Amino acid sequence: MIHFERYILKNGLTLLFHKDTTTPLAVVNTLFDVGARDESEEKTGFAHLFEHLMFGGSVNIPDFDAPLQMAGGESNAFTSNDITNYYDVLPKTNIETALWLESDRMLSLAFTDKSLEVQRNVVIEEFKQRYLNQPYGDVWLELRPLAYTKHPYKWATIGKEIKHIEEAKMEDVKAFFKKHYCPANAILCIAGNFEFEEIKALVEKWYGDIPAGIKPARILDAEPIQEEYREKTIERAVPTDAFYYAFKMPERRNELYYIADLLSDALGRDKSARLYVSLKKEQQLTAEIGAYITGSMDDGLLIISGKLNEGVSFEQLDSALWKELESFKQAEISEAELKRMMNKLRTSREFEEQGLLNRAMNLCHFELLGDANGINEEHQIYEAIQPSHIQETAMHILKKTNCSLLKVKAISNDK
Amino acid sequence: MINRTLTPELNEIDQIDFIKPSIFDISSSVKLYSMCEVPNQTSRLDLYFNAGTILGDIGTASFVNSLLLSGTNTKTSIEINNEMDSLGAFFESSVSNENALVSIYALKENMLAVLSILKDAIENVAFLEHEVIELVNDRKQKFRIGMEKVSYLAQRSFQQKLFNHPIYGRIAEESDFENVSISTLKRFHKDNYLHGLTKVVLIGAFSTDEIDEVIDMTGNWAMDALPTFDEKCQNEPSKTHVNKEQAVQTAIRVGRMLFNKKDPDFIDFQILNTILGDYFGSRLMTNIREDKGYTYGIGTMVAELTEMGYFLVATEVGSDKKDATLHEIQFEFNRLQTELVSEDELQLVKNYMLGQLLKSADGPYAMMDLFLHVEPFNIGLEYYNQCIESINKITPERIKELAIKYLNWDKMTIVTAG
Repeated sequence: MIHFERYILKNGLTLLFHKDTTTPLAVVNTLFDVGARDESEEKTGFAHLFEHLMFGGSVNIPDFDAPLQMAGGESNAFTSNDITNYYDVLPKTNIETALWLESDRMLSLAFTDKSLEVQRNVVIEEFKQRYLNQPYGDVWLELRPLAYTKHPYKWATIGKEIKHIEEAKMEDVKAFFKKHYCPANAILCIAGNFEFEEIKALVEKWYGDIPAGIKPARILDAEPIQEEYREKTIERAVPTDAFYYAFKMPERRNELYYIADLLSDALGRDKSARLYVSLKKEQQLTAEIGAYITGSMDDGLLIISGKLNEGVSFEQLDSALWKELESFKQAEISEAELKRMMNKLRTSREFEEQGLLNRAMNLCHFELLGDANGINEEHQIYEAIQPSHIQETAMHILKKTNCSLLKVKAISNDK
Repeated sequence: MINRTLTPELNEIDQIDFIKPSIFDISSSVKLYSMCEVPNQTSRLDLYFNAGTILGDIGTASFVNSLLLSGTNTKTSIEINNEMDSLGAFFESSVSNENALVSIYALKENMLAVLSILKDAIENVAFLEHEVIELVNDRKQKFRIGMEKVSYLAQRSFQQKLFNHPIYGRIAEESDFENVSISTLKRFHKDNYLHGLTKVVLIGAFSTDEIDEVIDMTGNWAMDALPTFDEKCQNEPSKTHVNKEQAVQTAIRVGRMLFNKKDPDFIDFQILNTILGDYFGSRLMTNIREDKGYTYGIGTMVAELTEMGYFLVATEVGSDKKDATLHEIQFEFNRLQTELVSEDELQLVKNYMLGQLLKSADGPYAMMDLFLHVEPFNIGLEYYNQCIESINKITPERIKELAIKYLNWDKMTIVTAG
């Protein structure tokens, strides 16, 4: 059980507090309800570029990191297609430094031209390092627009192309801040050995006078129900053929989301999963194979991906994979198989909840879903899942008309 | 309205509690280290073996490590994995130069049952031909993928030139995978696992009886006498470029052989290392990322082996920024050798390092890892109190002195790939 308290400031900022008496550290986690899905198609990669700019100084404080380091702390952030999350970890005795810094950048940024210019370059290098200069690095840049035709999940968090980042202008940056970085669009979680009243007072002191702003309405293009099988082959200078089967699955708040999560575990979480045992160990078709879900807020993807063994064709893999998926749909999984997955889930959860930062991040995440207490209720949803539910969901999700396949065909690098 | 331009008052970290694990004898030389103060159901078991990559033919140590759960004469690898997964356990294994490590993450209630499956699997591994062939194929594929990465290409060449030694500096080629023989694997396994256990680490709220069971189950693998490592390496100061067509980034490695925690300069050098490249506000990050935007990240580190250590700068930069980046790295070395670090910057690094130390001591898992960072050098946890003392009293003059002593550009091994 993860205990927490909630307090909502007049300007709409949600504060969550989690008490842990065993640690000398404090965590300040701030989730902004904005991600790459909130970008326009002509200016992608912006939510993430903006995350970088949040470290370039705020309205009253020229440098974000140095004062936090001076307080013995450190900070980082990440952006996804759904959210942008910032966190600070520091000695609890210096918590006020983190609140001072975080509240000032929620109030307003410095918006210097130098910061924009440099971070544009840094993000372009990040684009190259992670997506262009790695074998298979650009797979998600190709797979997203294949699987999504309308919804903004069709572009990656890093952006559709480097050009969009190169073209980012200061006026865009300011407009983005004004629209998305207001207290009503944020969830703040503070974790550590404090009293709730003490935290409330500190948060009122530093955040209370930030103007409220209006939580932006989110109206996104809905993804139409997929009704046809899609397939695309790209040729790349990689050593081995690779495959990515992407099946549409329900959104995060849907009960079926949890069933689809277990379905992906049954297919390909570990070395006792169906596809690993059948396609790798028994039939020797793949060198790697696994299954997982993207975990996104709106309609997500269940991915089955892997790499072919030498001498194996995409066609051989395809027919063996569909045969395996069909037989999975024919019969319920055994109680023992379900229990195995539940035991794995339980171990993962216990380890995850060990970390103070994880607890703070997850509380914010569940609050965004509707109620931070979801963190304590999620396991009950999983435990209620029966083999028949997984079979029904498999029949619904694992069909050709719900599938987009990306094949990466290996070609020689020689000119 | 509050005045937001004023920094809140800071409190200094004056004391950190370092908690020592309990020590049990497995044999006269092999110990079990246990940390029982775990407030939840999680647990971790680490088994250390004298089965690192410096032993045996090239590739052998790594192959045996990867085949530990590959099946016995009575159980297939699928069955073993299924049994472990059914207990909700996570298994990890890895090899470094001087060690092999097997770790289990599980709920405490399942740990002993998992260990008994693991014990049978490791003790009776049969090195079945089809499992070995499968691994050889997987390895070849991974190797070819690695060779497409500039970071991997740079790392390989760097390892050769850094260690500059027939064993420590050797690197595998694809053809090495062809020559794996099952009898060699079996012999290595028998010599270095079944008689190669050097250390056991247990974290979790276990009773003394449960700890005794772990000792009973692992005891027959214990080494009679712990291994010693005598080799000392000297890097070859040189500049090498590994060509990779069409790469949009170049990987850079700059480094030299240095020392480990046994050296009296080690702690102070860590402070210098932090200033130069080991935190977000470091000289290199500030210059090469935050001022010039040449890279997504650049960092430095000191890596340690039992009797030696090395210093390393690593980054990946835009292909047209290779020479400019090397120039800036050299510039930052020189600046530390010729200018005194300002009191402000030094104070920031001191506070940051103390904060990081506080974080590294937070909770039983972190505390055990701190202990494991000193134990191989026969140093106790008092080392960390020395760290606090050294951080508090270091001066700009001392930083400059160490930069002059160790950051000599002509002593560096430089590798670029792209």
